[in-house]
Amino acid sequence: MTPSKQTLSAASNSFLFIILSLLIPGLGQFWLKRFGRGALIFLSALILGLLVNWSLVHQNIGKVTFGHLATSWLWLPFILFWIWNVLDARALAAGSPLRVSGGLVFAAIILYVVAWNVADVRMDRLIARFGDARTVATNLLNPDMITITINGQDGICAWNCLYTYLGDKLAGKPVPGPIRLSDNLLTIVGQIKSVPAPKWEIGLGLAAPAGRVNTFAAGTMLETIAMGLMATIFSTILAIPISFFAARNIMSHLPGGTAIYYVARGILNVVRAVDTIVWGLIVIVWVGLGAFAGVIALTIHSVAALGKLFSEEIEHIDPGPVEAVSATGANLLQTIRYAVFPQIVPSFLAYSLLRWDINMRSATVIGFVAGGGIGFFVVETVRMGGYQQYATALWAVAIVIIVVDYISEKWRESILKDQPPVEAGRKRAFHSRLRLAFYVILGVLAFVYCWNLSAISLRDLFSPGSNFGRLIKDFVSIDLSSNVLQPTIQQMLVTIFQALLATTLGALVALPFGFLAAKNLTGTSPLSVWLYYISRAVLNVLRSIEALLYVVIFIFWVGIGPFAGMLALAVTSFALIGKLFSEAIENIDTGPIEAINATGADRLQMIVYAILPQITPPFISYLLYQWDINVRMATIIGFAGGGGIGLTLTTYFGSLQYHKAGTVVAFIVIVVAVMDFASAKLRQVLI
Amino acid sequence: MLRVENLTKVYPNGTRALKNVSFEVKDGEFLAVIGLSGSGKSTLLRCINRLIEPTSGKVYWDERDVTAASAAEMRTIRRQIGMVFQQFNLVRRSSVMTNVLTGRLGYANTISSSLHLFSAADRRKAFVSLEQVGLEDKADVRADSLSGGQQQRVGIARALMQDPKLILADEPVASLDPVLAHSILKYLEQLNKAQGITVLCSLHFLDLVHRYASSAIALKDGELVFQGKPIEIDDARFKAIYGQEAERVTMM
Repeated sequence: MTPSKQTLSAASNSFLFIILSLLIPGLGQFWLKRFGRGALIFLSALILGLLVNWSLVHQNIGKVTFGHLATSWLWLPFILFWIWNVLDARALAAGSPLRVSGGLVFAAIILYVVAWNVADVRMDRLIARFGDARTVATNLLNPDMITITINGQDGICAWNCLYTYLGDKLAGKPVPGPIRLSDNLLTIVGQIKSVPAPKWEIGLGLAAPAGRVNTFAAGTMLETIAMGLMATIFSTILAIPISFFAARNIMSHLPGGTAIYYVARGILNVVRAVDTIVWGLIVIVWVGLGAFAGVIALTIHSVAALGKLFSEEIEHIDPGPVEAVSATGANLLQTIRYAVFPQIVPSFLAYSLLRWDINMRSATVIGFVAGGGIGFFVVETVRMGGYQQYATALWAVAIVIIVVDYISEKWRESILKDQPPVEAGRKRAFHSRLRLAFYVILGVLAFVYCWNLSAISLRDLFSPGSNFGRLIKDFVSIDLSSNVLQPTIQQMLVTIFQALLATTLGALVALPFGFLAAKNLTGTSPLSVWLYYISRAVLNVLRSIEALLYVVIFIFWVGIGPFAGMLALAVTSFALIGKLFSEAIENIDTGPIEAINATGADRLQMIVYAILPQITPPFISYLLYQWDINVRMATIIGFAGGGGIGLTLTTYFGSLQYHKAGTVVAFIVIVVAVMDFASAKLRQVLI
Repeated sequence: MLRVENLTKVYPNGTRALKNVSFEVKDGEFLAVIGLSGSGKSTLLRCINRLIEPTSGKVYWDERDVTAASAAEMRTIRRQIGMVFQQFNLVRRSSVMTNVLTGRLGYANTISSSLHLFSAADRRKAFVSLEQVGLEDKADVRADSLSGGQQQRVGIARALMQDPKLILADEPVASLDPVLAHSILKYLEQLNKAQGITVLCSLHFLDLVHRYASSAIALKDGELVFQGKPIEIDDARFKAIYGQEAERVTMM
């Protein structure tokens, strides 16, 4: 073949691909055997087109009128995206594809313009209502923990007052009045109360019949801790057998096992896609409001999440020992006991500890819908405008969650690292046995105490509320009429875009913070060490509080609606991305840094060539992951006034329209599952 | 000429990695640095271009005091000294071309190079360097898709971009399959013989030292215990360097 012929055929070929991509975006790429690229371009064009059209028709977004013709200016970036796709097909035919960033920019313009409008972003409110925000902030910074009595009048003694009081006391000067722990703090933590004597104390002769005894009444925070703990224990116990049904390598040995595997996996995925808070709405119909409802809701979601993790862990075990044990003639149960169990115990424990952390966080907000715990307390105090009381609750939550987070992480580390081999035949020392017995007794006592505290009632569990039968019946008969479908789709889009904006905003702020909170990049000067610790502390405190608790603050600032929800999600996104990002920076390979330094490069060049290439892919992957999380969170943010699909859902539940609520839940399941799948696939491509 | 005088390195944890080490390397030499793991070979090489800050002692490179150089002077010194690493230290996600071009950073303008802009001359030079190590067809692939031996050749090409007068090679073949060791060392030997680049190379195997090095020094627990021709390392000296239990092994 002569060179001229080759160029000629290449030119005519590229013409073909241009035409193909001009007709249907992605078709040219598809024809060139770049299937992934073609499919992605086609899907993007389809979604963007539908989006521009939908937002014009239903929301008047980007509307411009030329005489009688009303259209959206967002069609302009859409056309540019189309043109980029055609140019890409031409470049691909010539051998090298275009950079993705071109198409990405046009897609991003459309997405963000729509997001900005549907999430009802009102920057003016941030400024105009700054005064209100400052009032709330002042209240939040001065929590109601100490009460001071001046001239027989009780008042809140915040930091300033406390400082003066202690100063006076130490200086020996007269103080304005006596102080004590405030009732608010006692409600949260717990207090000694006089109650009718329980039966067992009367029986043992410790109290007079019908007498009263002083006992410790646990506060809402303790109740929350009990709820989280019980849910974790129950879900771990329940998830273990379930996980075997959802493990392919186990089920494939059984007749009909593969079918069971798919059913089990399907159920786990659906249950997991519905947030704990939504489960709370369903559970209260069954057992009524209270801490017990919270425990059940947490357990249901947690069983599904753990079941999935456990079954994946079972699937990834080393097949060698299984083969060896089966070869000895052991049956399935024996094989599981001797070849599978020893391999999975440490990771199961680690996952349960991780879940404990997550359950504790959820337990702080489950009270918003299910009653019980600190969430219920927050709803009540905020309704009465008690921001100083609310602030005390926030601090309590932050402290408990940070401690739980720390313990859970330390235990996970010590479980997963290699254990020192136990010397064979050596007996346990007496004192270590004693210590073990002590821990066991302590554990049992704690379990019984938490059982009582979280009001677990087996009677309630087995006698569902009168409405529950109707709920189940209505739930299955999904209502797809347009008066349900229309608001559901609209609110679902609001939710997705809320999550997108929150992720973007959070990430932008997190970026510089991530560098400050990375130990290997901050220098050794005292200032930078301080910056490191402060950044880490800020990230940890912000991360310990759930988005639902932030919404309450933001609705006071910018008003009820998706904007407040978006801001609340942005705060939690900032905290989580900041943490993950700083860890990614801390985990980079130092070899390239050394090599680039050795060439005589300066600091900026070193960052660009040795650090950025290493952290960009994990950073993008965290963004996708965060968007995925935020969509889940955004589905419930409406319960506290943050707009989106959560608002629709509570409205339907509140008015007992379960058939409509069922539709909404089905939508949430589908969207969350799709997001989950898409973000996992995209992240795989990136890493 | 490289001159090291009374070089000592004490790490913050108290480890004395180098104790009063002094030696000279003439231009055009291929000097092997031998010794057990942990004897201070890596620390010594890194103190020469100050990737590790020596505690005391002097390093002179072409009569310039490296140990007293400012950050800006260090940049001009480092760019004359190429370095090759045991773990290759390539940026794994970047392309081979980008990795090779980073060897030019010491000469490039900070702003333009930070935007990945390199002159056409630099790009041509990168191709020439890749040709020298036989990898010109791999320019556009990601560094982590190459085999270990190929990655080390990229490492050498990166060092070549610096127009080095000296190459510090820290165990360049220790992470490679033994059959590849000769191929890598032959590239270094060729640079040493054909272009007159001085090479300082730490090595594990004595037969490689005999085959490639023109002179050798040996470290034991941070002290210089031998200096001379590789051929002078007899059994007694061998035991002195590697300890009484050591046995000579031959590679290939």
